Amino acid sequence: MSDPDRVSLAFIWDTASPHFSRRAFMKTMAFASAAGFVAACGGSSKGGTTSAGGSTTPPTFDPKPEAKTLNFYNWTDYIATDTIPNFQKDTGIKVTYDNYSSNDELFAKMRTGGSGFDIIVPTDATLVKMKHAGLVQPLDLSLIPNVKNLDPRFRTAAYDPGNQYSIPWQWGTTGIGFDKTKVGGAVTDWDAFNLPAVSGKSSYLDEARDAFAMALFALKKDPNTLDSGDLDAAEQYLIDLKKKIQKITSDYQDPLKSGQLVMAQAYSGDVFTIQADNAKIEYIIPKSGALSWVDSMAIPKGAAHPKNAEAFMNYILDPKVGAALTNFVNYGSPNKAAEPYINKDILSNPLIYPSPAELAKLPFQKDLGEDELAYSDRWDKVKTA
Amino acid sequence: MKGNLLLLPASVWFALLLVIPLLIIVEYSLGKRGVIDPVHFTWSHLRFANYKDALDPDRLPIFVRSIEYAAISTFACVLLGFPLAYWIARFGGRFRNVYLVLVVIPFLTSYLIRIYAWQVILQDNGLLNRLSGDLGLGSHHVFLNHAFAVNLGLTYGFLPFMILPLYASIERMDVALVEASYDLGHGKISTFFRVILPTVSPGLVAGVLLVFIPAVGDFVTPSLLGGVRTQMIGSTIADQFGGSQNWPLGSAMSVLLMLFILAGVFVYLRRVGEEAL
Repeated sequence: MSDPDRVSLAFIWDTASPHFSRRAFMKTMAFASAAGFVAACGGSSKGGTTSAGGSTTPPTFDPKPEAKTLNFYNWTDYIATDTIPNFQKDTGIKVTYDNYSSNDELFAKMRTGGSGFDIIVPTDATLVKMKHAGLVQPLDLSLIPNVKNLDPRFRTAAYDPGNQYSIPWQWGTTGIGFDKTKVGGAVTDWDAFNLPAVSGKSSYLDEARDAFAMALFALKKDPNTLDSGDLDAAEQYLIDLKKKIQKITSDYQDPLKSGQLVMAQAYSGDVFTIQADNAKIEYIIPKSGALSWVDSMAIPKGAAHPKNAEAFMNYILDPKVGAALTNFVNYGSPNKAAEPYINKDILSNPLIYPSPAELAKLPFQKDLGEDELAYSDRWDKVKTA
Repeated sequence: MKGNLLLLPASVWFALLLVIPLLIIVEYSLGKRGVIDPVHFTWSHLRFANYKDALDPDRLPIFVRSIEYAAISTFACVLLGFPLAYWIARFGGRFRNVYLVLVVIPFLTSYLIRIYAWQVILQDNGLLNRLSGDLGLGSHHVFLNHAFAVNLGLTYGFLPFMILPLYASIERMDVALVEASYDLGHGKISTFFRVILPTVSPGLVAGVLLVFIPAVGDFVTPSLLGGVRTQMIGSTIADQFGGSQNWPLGSAMSVLLMLFILAGVFVYLRRVGEEAL
């Protein structure tokens, strides 16, 4: 620091100084630089690839072009290393990338509003909830021509028919994760929870619709049914099964890894992640069927850069970009056109890419609107029993 | 008049963060449930049926279990906390404050993290089983996700709330009373029950309330350390705001639980004497 600077800084603390106006000026300067510092911190705390001009408010009106920024909120460890850099190179749009680790966390953040994100990636059931709560906005599909690359299964899916609100990111199933050395038998279907070695060492999901889907599949019924006889039977199935398990929980990952649980109703992606640490853990899609889940990109209502978000969605639907993503994260891609570029060992893995015959038994959870209370009430009985 | 101004910050605080939220809970408890809008409230259709549902006899075992677990952990806190508080107050010497800080130190870490740590300790191949195996007591005990773990977690979590008020009472106790009791021929047990206990009862009463009340309604501990057979009323209420999608019922259950605990506290204080506080 040079001498003149030191002199002027000293004036800040010298209230008796004749240089009053200069002192006031310096104070203002100090405050301004502090504010700039705070703003800079706020910008960089978003992590990942941070946008440069973080402090300017982007214009939100249609006639003006959007600022070249995009705030992307995605699950942790759920993207290829080159996905964002290549998008930035192609479009000049700076991407700010931030992560969450549960749908509840995402939902809470969206409900309180003002998060500033332009793309979020909720799972189908949460997307439906957000749609009903008015937290996401419809897409302009004319800006996403690559939507034609999607597998038809994801264009007509029950959670968002016609992709009015969402473009799928990656998909998987809700099946059974288990320790193959400890279950003492073959695990092929939902009845594996009855294996003697598993008794008191298993769990099913603390999600009403997922748990009921398991029971309904096991009973060979429609997993989205509203038939009260079928639902009553499913309720009884879950109550009976409750006597044989250790816990109803969605927090099964660590217990499965450590051996506290030897079998759990589980999401495919979670189990593949555990597998990387513990090779004894396996995943199956039960024979009688299972629910599919899909994480989809959507735009929060009032997002500042919806066009950039749509440009990003279109980019992800590019065959090569979609394939690179799947090759990196090892989940199923909803992008049919990407398949020629996807690694053969992923395409040939029936747990990630089930055969067409199996696919028919892997429906999505359907949005039942207010009728879902038929599930909620019976779920309360299961939890209370 | 001027002095009353001192009440203003606390009054505003309580109005905003206690009274208003409580009124909202009461309002919700009289509303109609829904999936898209969790609560529809209309003055013309107050749904008292929520309270009837909350008293569904199917929930009785869960309620009884909550009282049981809270009572067990309160009792365990007294057994563990009393000797410690007594020792710190009487024999802690100049390090008393250090010991008190040690009691409070766990609060510097999030309760969730500490409960997750208990999961690691209690799990089937966890620290406790390994220790018991090394001691030749067998290493295949089942702790986690059973009643033992929940009671342990509750006791662990609320123990400082027992120790601190007990300490305050014991520290104020005149030691001469104990000596006088010995001089007059009372033994150790008799002195404890007839001199020490009555003198420190304000701290004991406060400690029992501070442990029992939050323990009855706790839902974090049973969800993280408990299993299918250890559901407590707090988890049932939390479920109403989650998978069971019944905010009005959850609110009605909260109101009833609050009234029940208030009535219990009232009766308890009547019996042990209000002057004890």
